Amino acid sequence: MSPPLVSPVRHAPAPPAAGFLDGARRALTGTAGTPLVLLGNFEVEDEWAKGESGLPMLAGRNSAAIVNRMDEFALLLAGPDDHVVLKSAPDADYLDHLASLGVALPSVLVTDVQDPAHSVTVDALRSPRLLAALRELAGRGARLLPHGQSALEDELCERTGLASALPPSPLVKSVNSKIYSRRLATELGLPLARGWECETVGAFEEAAEEAAALCVDQGRRVGVKDAYGVSGKGIAVIDDSRRLRQLVRMVARGAAKRGDDRIALVIEEWADKTTDLNYHFTVGRDGSVRFDFVKEALTENGVHKGHRFPAQLDPGHVAAVQDASARIGARLAADGFHGVVGVDAMLTRDRGLLPLLEINARNNMSTYQTSLQERFMRPGTTALARQYELSPTARVSFARLRDRLGDLLLDPATGRGLIINNFATVNAAAPADPDGRPWTGRLYGLLLAGSTAELDALDRAVAEAVRKETNPDD
Amino acid sequence: MTTVAHTSATTADAVPADPQIVAAIVTALCDVLGQELTDITAETRLFDDLSLDSTAVLGLLMALEDALDMEVDPESLQQHHLESVGALAGFIAESR
Repeated sequence: MSPPLVSPVRHAPAPPAAGFLDGARRALTGTAGTPLVLLGNFEVEDEWAKGESGLPMLAGRNSAAIVNRMDEFALLLAGPDDHVVLKSAPDADYLDHLASLGVALPSVLVTDVQDPAHSVTVDALRSPRLLAALRELAGRGARLLPHGQSALEDELCERTGLASALPPSPLVKSVNSKIYSRRLATELGLPLARGWECETVGAFEEAAEEAAALCVDQGRRVGVKDAYGVSGKGIAVIDDSRRLRQLVRMVARGAAKRGDDRIALVIEEWADKTTDLNYHFTVGRDGSVRFDFVKEALTENGVHKGHRFPAQLDPGHVAAVQDASARIGARLAADGFHGVVGVDAMLTRDRGLLPLLEINARNNMSTYQTSLQERFMRPGTTALARQYELSPTARVSFARLRDRLGDLLLDPATGRGLIINNFATVNAAAPADPDGRPWTGRLYGLLLAGSTAELDALDRAVAEAVRKETNPDD
Repeated sequence: MTTVAHTSATTADAVPADPQIVAAIVTALCDVLGQELTDITAETRLFDDLSLDSTAVLGLLMALEDALDMEVDPESLQQHHLESVGALAGFIAESR
């Protein structure tokens, strides 16, 4: 039997004054009251990368299942008059918990089918009942706001009559290339790491030899990046010239087999960073650019692990990222783009700023924190967005995890504690027939506290509670 | 210490994994993951049991090219080849 299409409407207190989403709504649709249909098609890069040749990269089946259930993040970005398309209905106790915190939830539309290997958009396109509901919303003036616009979301718009709040996918894809980012940084005179944009195998071979001589043989690492790779995923970090040449040969073999010399790769000297940054702005249909925020990004080996905010930055660095936002945003608008944009940047060890490592002209992880931070952060609050790995052998209910976490969860009265902002990823990779072997689950949360020390203590306590859930015999 | 608990276990299609290839995979995994691995079998899952991530796959393939003096065809590599040590051993055996 298909799951219920629409969840019960849950009323909660009125949201705070207009914030990020309402600003984006106005900028991207032209009017303040346009209802949005949010779609969390995470790792849209995989769609953009189709037909492009880069690094041979593969992730596990479970990793894909978790990424596809990151669709649930959209639930906490949308407003109460918006709609969210999800691959399955959220845990009822999770919805009740969010409502008890005063979160005004959107209405939820669920796909008719749910394949863990497929993105929410692929499932949506195979869901006649959902498509009919979206056609009805289109008739009422709703607009689609996907995580990012790819050919799949173009098709969803065509089949439902929903207009997208974003431009068509070819344009969106083009401005998300790391080659575009590097060329734009050069054009705008923004400082950037030494690097090479490679669009043919021959150019890659030449660039690799230069990178070996100028960087790797001098003791400095380089990153070879897929132009359309997911942030932190389509990267090979190389510290050995022999390995770099081996990688070149591997890419060349793949191209020869395809009979197509074209590739889309970037080689970049690996900067000696102290802090990763993510800043965020919105480019309106009218070309206006609104700076939204800057956060510290937490990464391990280049892979995203969370955010810390407010960012501890010198006023000069804040001014520099605001200036970069205005200039990059204006250039994106001139190229016909409108939408939300996150830019990865970094502070180097000498306190220099590399303000444009890559443009992610789609929702960012930080985008999905905005409604919660606006509602719950107070002056003096410090926040940490984190993910916790689990290895359960049986499905974990929200009620069980809620009881395990107890008073570590947010207390709205004090404004301190953990807000779970994605629960679907905990059980996303659960096998249909559990065989007693653990699978990988992931819990996402936003932690709020009054000081960094308090925040770190809360983080450790949550990690320990989650670990106990993984090892229930403890 | 690196130990291979047993290498005669079978992959999904019941082809016994080549002990030499499995041993090379274990050594390459130790190198890529930067840790000693014990009790690895053909059934050991690369992502779930060993926490291999997508960025480490490329390093693993290059280390295997070195160890086994071969060239991997990246165009042929599919997700199911990375399900387990045995599945990867099967892919490597086909590539040699």
